[in-house]
Amino acid sequence: AEVEETLKRIQAHKGVIATMVINAEGIPIRTTLDNSTTVQYAGLLHQLTMKARSTVRDIDPQNDLTFLRIRSKKHEIMIAPDKEYLLIVIQNPCE
Amino acid sequence: GAYARFHGNRRSGQWEPVGPRPPLAAMFADRTADGAAVESRWRSVRSARCETKSCQTGKISTAETAVQSHTSRDAGVQTDQSKDAVQDFQQEVQVDYTSLLSFLQRVEDAVIKELNKNWKSRAFDGFEVNWTDQNETVLCLHTLSYPEAQDQNLQVTSVSWNATGSVVACSYGRLDGGDWSTEKSYVCTWNLDRRGLNPQRPDLVVDVPSSVMCLAFHPSRPSLIAGGLFSGELVVWDTSRTEDPVIWRTGMTDDTHTDPVYQVNWLPDAKHRNHNRLLSVSTDGKILVWQEERDGRLALAEGFAVVAQQVPRSARLKKFTWGEAAVGVTSLSFSHFDPRVFVVGVEGGYSLKCSTAAETLALHRTGGSVPLRAPAELAFSRHGGPVYSVSCSPFHRQVLNLFLSCGTDGQVHLHSMLQTQPLLSLQLSKKYLFCVRWSPVRPLVFAAASGEGNCNKRFCFTGDVHLFDFEKSSQKPALSIKQAAGEHPVYCVEFNTKQTRLLAAGDAAGTVRVWQLSSDFTEQGPREMNHLEQLASEITD
Repeated sequence: AEVEETLKRIQAHKGVIATMVINAEGIPIRTTLDNSTTVQYAGLLHQLTMKARSTVRDIDPQNDLTFLRIRSKKHEIMIAPDKEYLLIVIQNPCE
Repeated sequence: GAYARFHGNRRSGQWEPVGPRPPLAAMFADRTADGAAVESRWRSVRSARCETKSCQTGKISTAETAVQSHTSRDAGVQTDQSKDAVQDFQQEVQVDYTSLLSFLQRVEDAVIKELNKNWKSRAFDGFEVNWTDQNETVLCLHTLSYPEAQDQNLQVTSVSWNATGSVVACSYGRLDGGDWSTEKSYVCTWNLDRRGLNPQRPDLVVDVPSSVMCLAFHPSRPSLIAGGLFSGELVVWDTSRTEDPVIWRTGMTDDTHTDPVYQVNWLPDAKHRNHNRLLSVSTDGKILVWQEERDGRLALAEGFAVVAQQVPRSARLKKFTWGEAAVGVTSLSFSHFDPRVFVVGVEGGYSLKCSTAAETLALHRTGGSVPLRAPAELAFSRHGGPVYSVSCSPFHRQVLNLFLSCGTDGQVHLHSMLQTQPLLSLQLSKKYLFCVRWSPVRPLVFAAASGEGNCNKRFCFTGDVHLFDFEKSSQKPALSIKQAAGEHPVYCVEFNTKQTRLLAAGDAAGTVRVWQLSSDFTEQGPREMNHLEQLASEITD
């Protein structure tokens, strides 16, 4: 229940289009999008996050990835990584 | 051989055949040995019974038979994707809620902070990245024509791109009131992706006995194309057939239009997924929906008739002097978001918002097989002349249902379906505007084809195909392309939805030009949808 509330709070934030949580294997656990889109995002972003993390650690082994943001023409994807999970939030920043 | 020997004395001796005498050395006794007799066998050998015998296995019976399966069926096996696969994930994956909760609690603050920062950030304002080569110019890629049609002074009345975006078709006919009984016409197709494309030689030419006024390729089957004729009939051709491409036709029946068909559209059939129905629009005021029958016939499924009396009086319409006269429909466009809503343009100069769900019957006197209904729900304010083309925007947000209409007054009106007054009236040209189309990729762009008309030198724009971009200016065209040297009106334009940089335009000189647009017409800007909304709301205020 608290899990749902936290996710609801994030989803209700200004401009947020979608929120999802995926586990360390790239399998979606919670999502606000439809099935096929979720699976697509999960697979692709999981790989990208792993790549980003290994890039950071290759440059400096004492360093580690804390946050990943991808800005595109249409919106911004924010990824908060962790040992077991990934939180992905897609926001449409309109001014 | 044997010889005889006399044994015994003279009194009792007898002749006995004897064999060879045993050698005396071997036996030291004096004795008379019996003779050994060997019978002569030479006679018996000669007459011994011989028989030739042969031996053979008994006849093996063989028979020839063939085995073949009579019927076969293809069956595919595939696992079905379960409907809520995400739920499946959640069930399969053992989620440790405590660790999930602690994770979320850890990251929540950081994420909220980033979301806030992003919302307020001005860092990326006006920041654009060019990933593709910016092509600044508009090129004419192909100039296609069919010389035989041009020799007969036929004009291009309509162009259409097929479902894959590689074939463009055009219909030849006359839009300026040709003589319909003798005028032959053609439908020509060119495959632009083929090597060895000869612009003067179409890949396929179909002879049609009556002038073809409009064309529409099927939205998903790349070889089917429908055409509306001057005679009021509809014909569907299959371009993959070389022998006789006609597959369906309405023929001349009581249901057929009594005036030329100016627009034909394919409609998805709600009942049969794989079938499409055809919709035709004509100046006899009728909008008819046709269904394919098995014998190659197109039968009337349902229909609508626009009658002056039944047009809603919300706009101040000029009173019509004739009675139940039908109002000639010249064009139609379906809303992209509500499949039952469509907009038609009429000869009276206004556009009507209609619905396929309308139930009132039309006051229309004809002996058709299907009763016609009155579809009009709202009438929009008038142009200064007949409306020739309407186009609904494929982009929209919320209830904003925008459409464009153009006509002989040289104006383009931007309407929202919610109000009768236009949001914007643009005097694009002093000449007639024959066709207007929204861009399929840029919400703020549309193209209009202009042609003949009195040109007031002060306001006249020289080009024939106008490309309008609301992002750049809401007053004048961003680009005007001159289709051809000389005064040849452009009658039709169509954007290619698959190869989004291409635009086809057909003109009265009988040529179809395929233009390649520059990248600023084909790449959506970062917040274009918002600008569109903003534009619409600005104007309504």
